[in-house]
Amino acid sequence: MSEAKVNPTELTIEQVQEILRSERYICDRSLATVVYLSLVMGKPLLLEGEAGVGKTEIAKVLSKVLGAKLIRLQCYEGLDANTALYEWNYPKQMLRIKLEEVEHGDREAVETEIFTQNYLIKRPLLEAIQSDGATPPVLLIDEIDRADMEFEAFLLEVLSDFQITIPEIGTISARHRPYVFLTSNRTREIHDALKRRCLYHWIEYPTFEKEYEIITTKFPEVEAVMAQQICAFMQRVRQMNFYKRPGVAETLDWASALIALNRKGLDDKTVVETMGCVFKYREDLHHLKEQVEGKQLNLEALLRVSPELVS
Amino acid sequence: MDITTENVATAVSNFSSVRGEGTLPNLLAFGRVLKQLGIKVSLSQVIDASRSLELVDIGEREDFRALLRSNLISQKEDFPVFDTVFDCFWREQSYERIPMETLEIQGTPTEMPAQEGGDEEGLEEAVSETIGKEDVPLENLEEFSVPTYSPQEQLNRKDFSEMGVEESRAIARAILLIATKIATQISRRKKRARKGNIVDLRWTMRNSMKYGGEIIDLVNRKRRIKKTKVVLLCDVSGSMDCYSRFLIQFMYGLQNELWGVETFVFSTSLSRITHLIRTKDITNALEKISGSILGWSGGTNIGRSLQTFNRDFAPSMVTHRTVVVIISDGWDRGDVSLLERQMQDLKRRAKKIIWLNPLLASDNYEPLCKGMQAALPYLDLFLSVHNVNSLVTLGRTLQKLVA
Repeated sequence: MSEAKVNPTELTIEQVQEILRSERYICDRSLATVVYLSLVMGKPLLLEGEAGVGKTEIAKVLSKVLGAKLIRLQCYEGLDANTALYEWNYPKQMLRIKLEEVEHGDREAVETEIFTQNYLIKRPLLEAIQSDGATPPVLLIDEIDRADMEFEAFLLEVLSDFQITIPEIGTISARHRPYVFLTSNRTREIHDALKRRCLYHWIEYPTFEKEYEIITTKFPEVEAVMAQQICAFMQRVRQMNFYKRPGVAETLDWASALIALNRKGLDDKTVVETMGCVFKYREDLHHLKEQVEGKQLNLEALLRVSPELVS
Repeated sequence: MDITTENVATAVSNFSSVRGEGTLPNLLAFGRVLKQLGIKVSLSQVIDASRSLELVDIGEREDFRALLRSNLISQKEDFPVFDTVFDCFWREQSYERIPMETLEIQGTPTEMPAQEGGDEEGLEEAVSETIGKEDVPLENLEEFSVPTYSPQEQLNRKDFSEMGVEESRAIARAILLIATKIATQISRRKKRARKGNIVDLRWTMRNSMKYGGEIIDLVNRKRRIKKTKVVLLCDVSGSMDCYSRFLIQFMYGLQNELWGVETFVFSTSLSRITHLIRTKDITNALEKISGSILGWSGGTNIGRSLQTFNRDFAPSMVTHRTVVVIISDGWDRGDVSLLERQMQDLKRRAKKIIWLNPLLASDNYEPLCKGMQAALPYLDLFLSVHNVNSLVTLGRTLQKLVA
C-alpha cells in the first residue's frame, strides 16, 4: 500500500483526471487542472463550495491513489497550537526529572535532554512536516473556517515555508513538502494572507451529466432510469429556495437508500418516503411537504428528464 | 464598482502600453487590470502564476483560464469579473479591436479610483472617531488628536431616515467597518480561565517552581467557554423601511466576522436569512432578500412572527448563552396577548433580550403603542438605533454581553 503508485510531479492534467476517476471520483477539467498545479507546484489548494460537493473527498481519494499517508486536521472553534502543531510530553519530562533526582544524575544533561524530540508529542501539522515516507503525505486541513483567526496565523508559517519553529529545539523544516488541501464552508471569510498562499478553486454543484456519471460510477448496479430521475430531481431542487440545498453527498445517500430498498424507478410516494436522505432540516422537509400537499409542487415534473437539463 | 464590458475594456486599454512581448509582461499587466477593477491581487500571486505557466499547455484556453484563476483569484464572487477580463484581455490580436470610443473616455477610470480612495479615508476617520473614543487603538491616535471638520461627523448623528442616496451609501460602508471592528474585538476577548476541569501541565510545572519543582498544586483550566450566540430578528415592515436596510448591513458585518450569528427578518411572517447574507456582495444579497421575502415593507405581526420563531427555531438556537436582539418600532397590528406570551416564552430561554427601537431617539417618544408596552417588561435592554453613533453603543453593549 505504502509504495508510491504514481509520481505526482510527472502527471499530466488528463492523468490526474483519470487516476481520480479510477477511485470513483469524477471531476471536471478545471478542478483537475488546479489539483495538478497544486501537486506540481507544491502550493496548498484552498477548496470552497457548498456542503457536500466533495471537497474533503478529493484529498482522501488523492492520498489513496498517490499511495500517500493522509494526515487530517479537523478544525474547530478553539483549536490551538498545542493540538495542531506539537506539545511537550510533560508527564514523561517530569518522570525523567524525578528519576534523575533519585539517581543524582547530571542536571544539565537532563535539562537539554528533556527538550529533545523524544519528549515531543507530534500533532498533525508537525507530523506532516516531519513525515519521512517515500511519498510526501497529503495534509487535509478540513473546515478551516471553523477555527479561530489566531489559528490561521499559525498556519501561515507552516504553509508558506513548510517549517515549524519550536523555541526549545529550533526550526524544523519539511523533508518532503506535503500536499496540502484546505477546505472551507464559508461560514466566515478566510484571511487574505492565508488565501494568497494558496491556489483557489470553487467546486460547483455538478451538472446533470456529471452527477449521473457520479451515481453510475459509485453504484454500477443502479437502474439508468432511476439514476436519471434522481439527477433531474436534484438539479431542480437546487434551484429552489431551501435552507440547505442538497449536495452530491445527499444524492449518493439517496441513491444508496433507494438501491437498498430495491427500487427500480421513482414515484411520488417513494420520493416523499425517502426525502429524509435529501433534506436534513426540519424546515426544508416541512416546506417540501407543504408544497406537495398544496399542489404547488408537482413531484412528477421534478423527476422528469427533459432536454433543458442537459447542457 | 459595477463591472460592465466597457469598464473592463477601458481598464484593459489603459494598460495596453505596458503589455509587451512575451507572457510575463502581459501577465503583469493582466494583474494590474484586475487590481484596477477592485480585485486584490498580490505580486507573489502573479509570480506564482508565471511560475506555473510552464506546467500547463497554455494553448489550451480553458486550462490557461483555470491556471490564472486559481492563482490570482481567491473568492468565488470575483469569478465573473475575472472571466470578463480574461476574455477581453487574452483575446487574439486584441489591440486593434479596441473601439475608438473607449479610448476617448480613458480619463474616467483614473479619476474614479482616486475619488473612491478619498472617500474611504474619510470613512475610516469617521469610524475611528466614533468607535475609538474609549479605547483608542494606537494607529488611530494621530488622526484623533487633530480635530478636523468632516462631513462624516455630521452623518454620525444624522437620523437614518433623513438620508439621501449618496449619504446612505457612505454610511453603509462606515457601518460595515464598525461592525467588523466590533466583531473582531469580541472574538479576541475569549481567554482561558485557569480554573476548571482539565489539568494544565504547562502551568502546573511553572507553578511548582516555587516549591523547588515539587508538584503541590495542580493548575486546572476550563475548556474554552462557548461563545454566546446572537440571534437577530429584524422588522422589515413598511414603518421600518428607512432603518432596516442599515440594520441588515450591520448584521451582515457582525455575522461575517463572528461565529454563531443567526439572522431573521419579519413582517407578517418570519424568514431566516442567515444563509442569504453570508456572501460578500451585500448589495446584491439585499436585493435578493427583498425579492424573495413576502411582506417586505408590508404590515407587521410581531406576535405571530415570534411564535414561528419560538416554535421552529428557538429550541435549537436559543440557549442560556444566546442574546436575542429584536429590531422593531413596535407598531404591531396583531394580537397583543399573543405577543406577550411569546415574549415570555423567549425570555425563559434566552440569556438576554435586547430591543432596538429607532423611534426611541425622538424626544417626545414614549412606548405607547400596545405592542411595545406588552414587550417592555421582558426586555433586558431597550436601546435606540437611529444613527451611526447609536450603532456604536449597540456594538459596545453586545461586546460586553458576548465577551
